[in-house]
Amino acid sequence: MTARFAPGDPVRVRPGAKPGHVRTPDYLKGKAGEVERVLGAFPNPEDLAYGLSGKPERVLYKVGFSQRSLWPDYEGPAEEQLYADVFEHWLEPGGEV
Amino acid sequence: MSGTHDMGGEPAGPIDKKGHEPEDWERLADAINAALGKKGIQTTDEHRRAIESLPDYRDLAYYERWASATERLLVEKGILTSVEIDEKAAEIHHRWENA
Amino acid sequence: MSHDHDHETNFGSATSPLAARVRAMEALLIEKGLVTEAEIQDNVAYMDSRSPVNGARLVARAWADEGFRARLLSDGKAAAIELGIDAVASPELVVVENTPDVHNLIVCTLCSCYPRNVLGRPPDWYKSFEYRSRAVREPRAVMREFGFEPPGDTRVAVHDSTADVRYMVLPIRPPGTGGLDESELADLVTRDCLIGVDVPRAPSAAQA
Repeated sequence: MTARFAPGDPVRVRPGAKPGHVRTPDYLKGKAGEVERVLGAFPNPEDLAYGLSGKPERVLYKVGFSQRSLWPDYEGPAEEQLYADVFEHWLEPGGEV
Repeated sequence: MSGTHDMGGEPAGPIDKKGHEPEDWERLADAINAALGKKGIQTTDEHRRAIESLPDYRDLAYYERWASATERLLVEKGILTSVEIDEKAAEIHHRWENA
Repeated sequence: MSHDHDHETNFGSATSPLAARVRAMEALLIEKGLVTEAEIQDNVAYMDSRSPVNGARLVARAWADEGFRARLLSDGKAAAIELGIDAVASPELVVVENTPDVHNLIVCTLCSCYPRNVLGRPPDWYKSFEYRSRAVREPRAVMREFGFEPPGDTRVAVHDSTADVRYMVLPIRPPGTGGLDESELADLVTRDCLIGVDVPRAPSAAQA
């Protein structure tokens, strides 16, 4: 498993729709976050969903996002984070968090 | 815009905290799904995809979605035909009504 | 499309048309030799035997044993197996620890991912469209609905289990529980505490 990103790396979730079964929720599309943890490599659910093998496996990351960057009306303090598990092919480098 | 299942952040009302004990048919739907997974007949993601594709997703309860999706997948894979499920279900329903 | 529905608690009877279709699938799969009756029953029995008590045992052991706490946080599934919980078939389990600085809340917005192999079937409210929609955007309002508000400066961290990992919360051991043994500690840990909409309380506080 070769992980493209490491904990602490700034990342951005790819914007835009993709047909079929995806595990990246809409509310994160285009949002900037930071890699919290590398969770491992897993068969790609987007292919598994259609009876394919899901190989090659894709690296899955736990990514942290500022809640206020996701929801302008967020109630809690500025430091609060939301974490979600995002596959590598949904992430691109950089973007100010 | 994603599918109807992708609801994170949508405005919604209060959470209903009362629950119900799973009924026998729900426990059975759960077990069929698990058995098909262990046998390699379906994957979790195939089942999720079938659930997300249900046109009446928002009108169905959880295990109604599960059971409907399993049925759809089995037909899609050519393992069961919808006619044989119809016929077997009618037979079972008839037996219940005359029990 | 409305969230105004009450299906999870408003089912038809055990002899509804859908129940008949589920029975029909079972019968046909068995007739065709794809699964056996025994395999189906084993899966029913396995899931019936899963319960939040397993999670409470993990938490109580972690409170009582620092080494176990470290193992639970580094590999939740291995720690569950170590405690004799049959979680071999489980996806990876990541346990997130509450501290005075951070309170964790678990949700799955896309379906209803839940550590079923440890905690059993998820509660109806966890699967509800309302919880799935709101927990990511207004976690504090959601927790208030459960009668819980994180103290003072504690930050809230929401975990949306979108993929191949399942999550469980390791709550803070309540003050005033120094004299309790592991089984008494486990009694303080409810399912809601393991999801993060509540926290354990010392017995006297719970009665107050």
